[in-house]
Amino acid sequence: MPDKRTTIANSILLALMLVAVITSLSMGTVRIDPMDTLRALVGSADPMTTFVVNELRLNRVTAGLLAGAALALAGCLMQTLARNRLATPGIIGIDNAATAFAVASVVGIGVSVAPPVMALAGAAAATAIAFGLAGANGTRGYRFIVAGIGIGAIAGAVTQVMLSRVAIDAANAAYPWTVGSLNARSGNSVLVLACGLAAGYGLLMLISRGLNTLQFSDAVAVALGTHLKRVRILGLAISVLLTGFAVSVCGPVGLIALLAPELARTICKPGKVPLLASALAGATFMVVADLLGRTLFSPLEIPVGIITAIVGSPYLLWILLKPSQRSLT
Amino acid sequence: MSTIQRATLAAEAITLAHRNFTVADNLSVALPAAKVTAIVGPNGCGKSTLLNGLARIHTPARGTVLLDGKDIHRLPSREVARKLALLPQDNTAPEGLTVADLIRFGRQPHQGWMKQWSKDDQQAFDHAVTAADVASLVNRALDTLSGGQRQRAWIAMAVAQQTPLLLLDEPTSALDLGHQIEVFELIRSLSHQGKTIAMVVHDLASACRYADHMVAMKGGKIIREGAPADIVSPELVQELYEVSCELIEDPATGAPLLVNVRRNAHSGAA
Repeated sequence: MPDKRTTIANSILLALMLVAVITSLSMGTVRIDPMDTLRALVGSADPMTTFVVNELRLNRVTAGLLAGAALALAGCLMQTLARNRLATPGIIGIDNAATAFAVASVVGIGVSVAPPVMALAGAAAATAIAFGLAGANGTRGYRFIVAGIGIGAIAGAVTQVMLSRVAIDAANAAYPWTVGSLNARSGNSVLVLACGLAAGYGLLMLISRGLNTLQFSDAVAVALGTHLKRVRILGLAISVLLTGFAVSVCGPVGLIALLAPELARTICKPGKVPLLASALAGATFMVVADLLGRTLFSPLEIPVGIITAIVGSPYLLWILLKPSQRSLT
Repeated sequence: MSTIQRATLAAEAITLAHRNFTVADNLSVALPAAKVTAIVGPNGCGKSTLLNGLARIHTPARGTVLLDGKDIHRLPSREVARKLALLPQDNTAPEGLTVADLIRFGRQPHQGWMKQWSKDDQQAFDHAVTAADVASLVNRALDTLSGGQRQRAWIAMAVAQQTPLLLLDEPTSALDLGHQIEVFELIRSLSHQGKTIAMVVHDLASACRYADHMVAMKGGKIIREGAPADIVSPELVQELYEVSCELIEDPATGAPLLVNVRRNAHSGAA
């Protein structure tokens, strides 16, 4: 049953996202009137404006939208599979491992594979190891999370070692990866991410009913006809895919995977995993954070990962500490 | 709605183990159709494990569970969920979920991919609301309900699943006397409508009163099976719980009634 509250929430998020996109396209060293930005997008503005909007800014904003949506979706999925709000790919080390692999390819340590492939390999490797160390419980329970945190720490250290061992120019080229930035993306990786996001979201629709039942205990989910193993494995695979591709575009931008699903759950009707709302909220967060990073201290640019950490942490604390109000509605 | 299709559920020589520890060994049991079966026994005897085995939550190490004569683990999960509903002990639910939301989940096995809420779904929903007497609660959030109300809401979800088989794991634990009776009577009325029901029950007296068939377990084995009036005896109570008692016939219902329950003389002296 399509639900009114969720539909309204999604509409509001979509509107906010569009506003963020237009604002982000309009702001920068050259300010453009939002109406002119819209005209540029449909191709009826003057050449200069069209160039700034479509050639200079649109790619970056698109990358932000896609990466934010992918990270948030991956976070929402992982939280649902692990039944733990803290179990996002960033916290359990998947981001870090993807970064380590991608940095390895950027600084050119004996490999010359494209960053998206490397990041995906890193994400998959970290997940496989965490999964193996977690033992029989799989993604459930704390073992998976603790194992993931350990792997993330090791991957972070490996990244630092690589950066300290290579020539300064190579290290500079790889630096944005380590903090999360939309500055270092390649055109290819954005395209790969777009395809991955479309495929991942499509597959998620196939298991969305099963995902909804995971909000109950395993026994209830099975009793309602959910094929637990299939939903878990497919869900985990999609989460890894989305994380790997997103990291190959923007690096390990923290907290979006944690915050966006949290916001989505707060505003959507309980009982369904808010996949669409998470993706929309994540995309909006990313675009806004990147906009702030570009404009706050212009011409100095603050990487988007630092902005999400500064803005996101207090919000996260507020969400975790505020008393539950659900029971009143 | 009133005619419920039949389905049979039986375990054939199943062995259930947690890791390497065998909880129940070589059990065979068949649920009598349209009757209430109570599984009783002391703590740790394997009764919940047997129920979970029957409900395909716990995969047996050996032996098979047969649903309509077919291996339940080889059937598609959704197909099984259209024939068999389970009320487990762990009834956690997402924060803020309403009773109506919960009951709607019971229709999930009947809904396809992208298939919208149908007329059948709505009928089953309404029937479940009436059967479990939760009409006044449908818009309340589960976390605002009392234990008895919440249990009725969960039973309503299982009823909405419209399965011929219903398994319940300690449906009345943590309920006071009034709510216990309410839930047991609901279970009995569901069996009168044709459902085949199995439940794990802690309280032997309630099992005697509300079950048509009893499976008594101890140490992972079924030691007696049959109608409560036929199998419940001071000797059985002694064997199961290591307490002495006398039995009388309940003047109102004819069910066996335990009186003068006490610890054994020798164990009391120790």
